[in-house]
Order: sequence, then structure tokens, then C-alpha cells
Amino acid sequence: MNDTVPQLLIVDDELHVRESLSHWFAEDGYDVVTADSAKQALALLGRRSFDIVITDIRMPGMDGLELQRRILEVDPDLAIIVITAYASVSTAVQALKKGAYDYLAKPFDPEDLTRVVEKAWEKQRLRKENIVLKERLKGDGPRLIVGDSPDMVQVMELVGSVAPTETTVLIRGESGTGKELVARLIHTRSPRAFGPMVAVNCGALPDGILESELFGHEKGAFTGASAMRKGKLELADGGTLFLDEIGEIPPKVQVELLRALEDKKVTRLGGSHEIQVDFRIVCATNSDLEDAVNEGRFREDLFYRINVFVIQIPPLRDRPGDILPIADHYVRTFSGAMGRQVTGFSPEAEKLMTSYSWPGNVRELANAIERALVVCRGTTIDLEHLPISGHIPGPGESEIEDRVSLDAMEHHHIERILQRTGFNVSQTARLLGIDRATLYNKMRKYGIERTE
Amino acid sequence: MWRLELVPVGALPPTVLFELRDDLESCLHHEVHLAASALDPGPAFDLERRQYLATELMCQLLEPPPEPCERRIAVAAVDLFLPVFTHVFGTAQLGGHVGVASLYRLRPEYAGAPQDVGRMRERLAKEVLHELGHTFGLVHCHQPWCVMAASRLPEHVDLKDLWFCDSCARSLALPGNCVQPTSHLTTRRRPRCETR
Repeated sequence: MNDTVPQLLIVDDELHVRESLSHWFAEDGYDVVTADSAKQALALLGRRSFDIVITDIRMPGMDGLELQRRILEVDPDLAIIVITAYASVSTAVQALKKGAYDYLAKPFDPEDLTRVVEKAWEKQRLRKENIVLKERLKGDGPRLIVGDSPDMVQVMELVGSVAPTETTVLIRGESGTGKELVARLIHTRSPRAFGPMVAVNCGALPDGILESELFGHEKGAFTGASAMRKGKLELADGGTLFLDEIGEIPPKVQVELLRALEDKKVTRLGGSHEIQVDFRIVCATNSDLEDAVNEGRFREDLFYRINVFVIQIPPLRDRPGDILPIADHYVRTFSGAMGRQVTGFSPEAEKLMTSYSWPGNVRELANAIERALVVCRGTTIDLEHLPISGHIPGPGESEIEDRVSLDAMEHHHIERILQRTGFNVSQTARLLGIDRATLYNKMRKYGIERTE
Repeated sequence: MWRLELVPVGALPPTVLFELRDDLESCLHHEVHLAASALDPGPAFDLERRQYLATELMCQLLEPPPEPCERRIAVAAVDLFLPVFTHVFGTAQLGGHVGVASLYRLRPEYAGAPQDVGRMRERLAKEVLHELGHTFGLVHCHQPWCVMAASRLPEHVDLKDLWFCDSCARSLALPGNCVQPTSHLTTRRRPRCETR
């Protein structure tokens, strides 16, 4: 749907009325379509979207009030203006009570018509803007990417190069490394910055719901679809679509998604018409997509469609120099939000943080700092405030034995925390700074099961 | 070279037409012709509404004129309407050949103000230029001083210049606000001249 030119549908059985109104609005630069009956109007509404419908009340066959009822049943947000040749207050009141935006009695002053339609368009525009802003707020977190290690400097350089283009970006990195923050940075530095940034976590939704979330659905498309709903691809029109955990998309949805990415057209579930959309794609994954392709879990064509410009975010353990600057950043952020006077860390706490492997990466670090601020009563965070444990290495002593792999360490650490929490998965995930789905995946990977 | 013809509707005072031609020629720098015969407003008269149907007059304008003509604008002194509207100041084929404008509601005395021939003349020239712009495919402009801005009230017409804003002028491949309005026409905004 075009956000700058109002899409208008005029419904009237009288040709001269349709002609007069369409001519009038065409002069105003509106995109106008006319229908000579309610039936034709419903057929048009099934094929494309409109912002405002202007309909006569008295028409042969289905009248304007019935048309209004049917339209609002499908799209309760559409602005409907009813016109009537009979200045019947009761009919107008009936229409208004049933959800019409406004009414006009024929013949009407051009000034009144313009005022009513402009107000309706303003309402529709604000409504659309509101949806976009809500989407934007939903994903808002700390926007700053902290870290000046060579790896992160390179990440920022890549972001700077690719952001102003339309190139599809694939962000790779472990869970909690800040892939969504990088995606947001790409969006805010792109020419689409004033458009919406719509994020979808493909791994967090069951198949059926993911499909409806991405493509939207028409009213009655499935049980519970009581009203038409736009999908995330449609909401991303004019902006950036961020598909997180793209490796988790089920095969059926992969086909639909590939088609939508290729054609930039979407069809809502239960719908029959294609809607043109214009968005830029940024994807993220923490899984090995090449393996998924080899094993047939991920379509090769979709892989090549998204694997255009890759940004690899290194895990926190590979850039220990970033740990304290990030920790300081979160101390400042959370202290401000909680009204605390915490200013920093004790030398022991700093040592523990820099020697810890942070399997949950920046997310785990942020959660650890937040928790520490809750329990800290003084101005300095000490060892006992941090929800992590470990051996603080002495001078020249390495915490990690050379023969132990990272996977083995992660396995051991997860097991230890699970035992500490009595196998409470939610609590463990929170302590590790990862989500439950990731924890379940890791438990499956390492074969960790509850022992009675 | 396109030909513009002004066609009187019924018994329009000749001075109105002559002055309008002069005003348009001054701003357009283009010859404006006057039609030899007037349109008959009779068929456009609606007995119930006691007004004249603008589209009926446009249909008459579309009949082939004695001399080939690219643009024909009818000028009326009667009250015009379109079926759903109480009235219109004028209307035109968007991207077409014909348009119609009326001075009936543009007269200051219509709104109870003292008679002001100069103001009426200025409003009529703007309205005709506005309808002419529509025939060249221009839609309403959001610049309040542009002659293509929508005017729902006569006072809105007074806010406009007798010329197109730079953007609309560019669409028509005409010079921007460089053209000085004629001396007797007052403008709200002094035209800005660019050195070429």
C-alpha cells in the first residue's frame, strides 16, 4: 500500500456520482477506483487494499449499510464515509453507530467533502504510523554497540559499508552476541531509516503461527482468524525486514519466503491477491546454515538468496578486551534506570568477568550486570554480586586447561547450572543469559537429561 | 504551438472576456483567442437546483470548433454544479482539452462583501489558469501560493499567485515564478526571479 497517496474506493450505482467524485479526487492527486455496486466493491476489496471507502447508502441489491457491515467485519480499521441523497438523520446515525467514520448528505459542499476525506486520511495515516512505531518500539533496546577490539572494529566497518546499500545481509554469530543490534544499526544508517524496522524471531514461533506472522491472513483463513491481519513482510514495506534465527524456518515456509523475497509480493493466508511490498532483508543465524543445506534442512536456493553479504560477530570470549567496556556501559545504563549510585567493579570482580567464558555472550553479561545491580547495596560490584562462578586465575595461570574444548566447557557449565537450579530450565536460561529455546537446543546437542 | 480559446457561456459581458484574455496573455506570454460564438447554457440548466451542470457545458465544448484548437475553456457568469456537489467554481478534463470556470461565486458581493471588480477579475484569471493547468495533467498542488492549489472558498483563490509554483511550472516546462504578474493584479507573494 502506498503511504503517500490515499487509496480511495467510491461505491455508487449512479454513474454521474461516481464520475463527479472520481474526477474531483483525481484532481486532488488521490488514487481512485470506483464500483457500481456493493458486490463489485467487495470483489475489489478482496483484491487490493484501500484507505477510505465512500459509499452511497441507497443502492439496488446490497445497500451501503450492509456493505459497511461486511467491510468492517473483514477490516475494522478501514475508514468508511457514507453518502445519502436523503438527508435522513436516522440512517446516518445508524451508519455511524455501526462504525462509519462520517457521513455526507447529497448534494454536499466541496469544502465539507474535502474536510471529511482529509480527516479520514489523516486518521488512517496516523494509524499506519502507529503500527510501524509500535513494531519499532517492540524491538528497541540499548542501541549502542560497545567494543573496540579489532574484530568489532571490522564489524562496524562492514556495517558502515553495507548499510547505505540495498544489499541483503546475513549476520552470523552465537546467541547473545548482538545480531539484532547490528541489524538495527544497518537499518538506522540506511536510506530506509525513516521506514519501519520489523523483526521476526523465526525460531520462537510454531510453523502455522510463523506463516501467518510473516504473510498475514484474511478473515476466516483459519479457526480464530476473526479479522484480517497484515503480516510482518507487509508491515516492513518501505523499511527493513529482520529475520532472526532464519535457520529455524520450516521447509514449507522456506518456499513461501523465497517466493516473497524474489518477487517482493506477498499473499495473505486465505487471500487470493498479491500485495506488492518493498523491503530490505537482513537475516541472522547462530546455526551452521551450510550444514543445514547439506542435510537438506535448509533450501539451497534460499541460502544463496540470503548469503550475499556476511557479517560475522565474534563471541565475547574471543574478544576479552571488550568485556569490561561493555560491563561499564551496562552499569551506567542500569544504574540510571534503577536510580542506583553504582560506579564500577572491584578488581576481583573484574578479574572474574574477564576470565569467565560468557557462553551467553553479551546478553549473559548484561543480565549478570543487571542482577548484580539489584543485589549490590554499595557503590562497587563485587564477586558475590555476580551470578557467575569460576576460578579466578592467578598470575601466569590459565583458567582453561589446554586439552578441554569450548564445547566441553559449555557442556560442563550448562550441566553445573542446571544442577544448581534443580533442573529449572527457565531459571538456568536466565542465569546463562540465553533463551529457553537455545538452552533446549544445547541440552539436546550435549545429551543433557534430568537424572532423577 | 497550441491554441487556447476562451468560450463565453451565454450573455457574458464582453469586457470580462477581453480583460481575462489580456491577463492570461500577460502571464502566459501566449496568444489567447476568443471564440466567435457563445455556448448555450440552456441544456445545462437544472430546473430543480436552478444551477447549471458543468459537465454538460464541457460536452458542448468537446464538439469540434470552427478552428482546430488544443485547449478550450468556457467562461460563465452562472452558478455551476456537479451532481453530488452544491456548487463548483470550475472543472476541467484532467489531461484533456476542455474546462469550464464561473465567476458567479467568485464575486465578492456573493459573500456579502462590497462589489470589487478588480478582485473578481483577478480571481477569474486564477480560476481559468487553474483549470487550464488541469487540462495539462496537473493535479492540486500543496503550495498555497501556487495557482494549482485547491480553492474551496473564494478567499482561498486570493491566497494564490497568478502563476504556477516552480514544481508545477517544471511539469509544464514553463519558467518558474519569473513571470511578473500584470500591473493591476496584486499578488500576495512577490515573484522570485532567478538569473538564467
